[in-house]
Amino acid sequence: MKRLNRDAITALLLLILCSVFFWKTFEIREVPFSEMGSEIWPRFVLILLAILSLIYLFRSVTQPQPDTEPFSWSRWLKTYQNALICFVMFFVFLLALPYLGMLLAGILFVFITQSIIGGHSPRLLLMHAIVAVLAVGGMWSIFRFALGVVLPKGELFS
Amino acid sequence: MIFENLINAADAVFAFNNLLLMALGVLAGLIAGSIPGFTITMAVVLALPFTFGMSPIEGLSTMLGVYVGGLTGGMFASILIGIPGTPSAIATTFDGFPMSRKGRPGLALGIGLWASFFGGIISAIVLVFLAPTLAAIGLEFGPWDYFMLVCFALTIAASLSEGALIKGLIAGVFGLLVASVGEDHINGAARFTFDFDVMGAGFSFLPVLIGLFAFSQLLNDMSDTESAKKPMIAGNHKAVKMEHRQSIALNILNWFTVVRSALIGLFIGLLPAAGSSISNILAYDQTKKASKTPEAFGTGTPQGLIASESSNNATAGGALIMMMALGIPGDAVTAVMLGALTIHNIAPSPTFITTQPVLAYGIMVAYFLANFMTLAMTSGALRVFLLVTRIPLYILGVVILMYCAIGVFTLNNTTFDIWTLLVFGVLGFVMVKNGFPLTPMVLGVVLGPLAELNLSRSLSTSDDLTLFFVRPWALFFIVMALFSVFFPLYQSAAKANKRWASFYGVAFLACTSVPLMLMEGGFRTGLGAVLLLLAIWLTINKLRAPKAQNPSVK
Repeated sequence: MKRLNRDAITALLLLILCSVFFWKTFEIREVPFSEMGSEIWPRFVLILLAILSLIYLFRSVTQPQPDTEPFSWSRWLKTYQNALICFVMFFVFLLALPYLGMLLAGILFVFITQSIIGGHSPRLLLMHAIVAVLAVGGMWSIFRFALGVVLPKGELFS
Repeated sequence: MIFENLINAADAVFAFNNLLLMALGVLAGLIAGSIPGFTITMAVVLALPFTFGMSPIEGLSTMLGVYVGGLTGGMFASILIGIPGTPSAIATTFDGFPMSRKGRPGLALGIGLWASFFGGIISAIVLVFLAPTLAAIGLEFGPWDYFMLVCFALTIAASLSEGALIKGLIAGVFGLLVASVGEDHINGAARFTFDFDVMGAGFSFLPVLIGLFAFSQLLNDMSDTESAKKPMIAGNHKAVKMEHRQSIALNILNWFTVVRSALIGLFIGLLPAAGSSISNILAYDQTKKASKTPEAFGTGTPQGLIASESSNNATAGGALIMMMALGIPGDAVTAVMLGALTIHNIAPSPTFITTQPVLAYGIMVAYFLANFMTLAMTSGALRVFLLVTRIPLYILGVVILMYCAIGVFTLNNTTFDIWTLLVFGVLGFVMVKNGFPLTPMVLGVVLGPLAELNLSRSLSTSDDLTLFFVRPWALFFIVMALFSVFFPLYQSAAKANKRWASFYGVAFLACTSVPLMLMEGGFRTGLGAVLLLLAIWLTINKLRAPKAQNPSVK
């Protein structure tokens, strides 16, 4: 049996997703007197997605895959280092948002993320701090005062 | 009637506020388009949050400014450093950069700028006259036809996904699934909320779009640790003076190339989801094939540069025609605009032009005006471009990520939208890394509710399912969808010189002729008959052609 490649794993994940969502369509409330039940369209889409995923799975296991180097965590981490930093920092920013508010959480997100990616020599730290305060402060002011959007203040300041 | 509407719309477009916003949009587009790695779609998506507080005409004018500016701005990096600023300026690099290296960067930029302008104006003129006509045809569509049109839009978007048809189709259908999350628009029943109240309203279009197009794109651009720390463009590039007089003369001298490329751009724009990244290469290729000196292409010939720039700007007009006349996005940018219109509770459909004449004709006038503004602002934007590209990418990237967060929050004032942004940003990043195209997915998200609504209307009107296949327009779109699905197969067969590939076009003509002949009206029936006769004549000719002509034919 051929070793599962990345495409085959993706196809299997899609099939699992289809199964879970299809099961969930049975929980959709029935609406009396409706011409087309609310579950019909999602089921139609899910069946289509499942068929396409099966074709994708079939092709991924039958067609020869290009030779690739064996997977290594260290290489993977190095390749996606910046993206991972941004994702994690953005996640932390979202967790901090209700407490620190958009302005402070935003400034901290920009400053810390830039310093992790770009380096943290004193000169760079100063530059990142200035960029963070000016950019986030500027955007915050435009949305807050010019466009009248009420941005989260944060529990710390309310 | 058209002129009356245009005059009324001009009043709204030429308002001082609107002009100022458009100018800002054009400048932002010129700069964003010029930065390698930043796409025009991303620029338009990022402009969207600013437009919430504006009137629909102001919002769309601003986005059109970004769009047209971005199409022209893409040539800066292509010509000066040989790296396309956007995918729509790839072919600009082929002759623009060699011309620049030969010491004529000012001429190259001038030719590109004027070709963009002429292409845009030709496209705008066609837009004004074709959009109402196409909308009138669209009024004939029943729900069965509309449903099939959406299917066609999704299949063609997938088939144009560079050798990844199945992945494109999966992305498109996945987009339909994403759109079905939350309360169903017809019956109001909650779907796939997983008992989270915040999911009841479904995913807002904007965070999904910014997540897919901007968030994931930024992370892709910043992936390379070393290059992310360096200025976006290395070296010391100076602003050059454009040679306008000679550039205009060369464009006029090559007027046929300008017009042909603009028409190619328009046609590509009319195809749902096919954008300027395709039209510039196609126009360049056609110009090279038609040229008496094809060997000069790639060495800095004005024709190559004109073809690319004229076609990519003209694509916008074609895409706008589709959006306004039928409510189907002609490319990713018009998909964003469609989203912007729905935020203002306006749903483009064939009745859009008649029910919203000021807005519809305002879009046309704004598109005209954006081309003139781009012409006027390019020199200034070139200087800003040289300054911006000295900033390391990570600095700009992280700041834009933050801007994305603030931008999506403004839509519904809820942090759930920022979580959605993160989820779809990660999803978009993973999809791109695994070779799944994003445009079909966005199209699926945009067109999902429309498809469901029309399916529901069809079923409530009649139980007869054959109507999906026998109504002329529905059949027409089925033919288009099938041929678009098999298009990648045809391309590889044509490359391998397989005999059946030479009959693909003929088969397309023959199949298209059937629904046309079934339609009402003498013109369409006649056109169908002509296409059928043409297909028969071409088939006979191909069958008669000696096989020895091409020994590699299998």
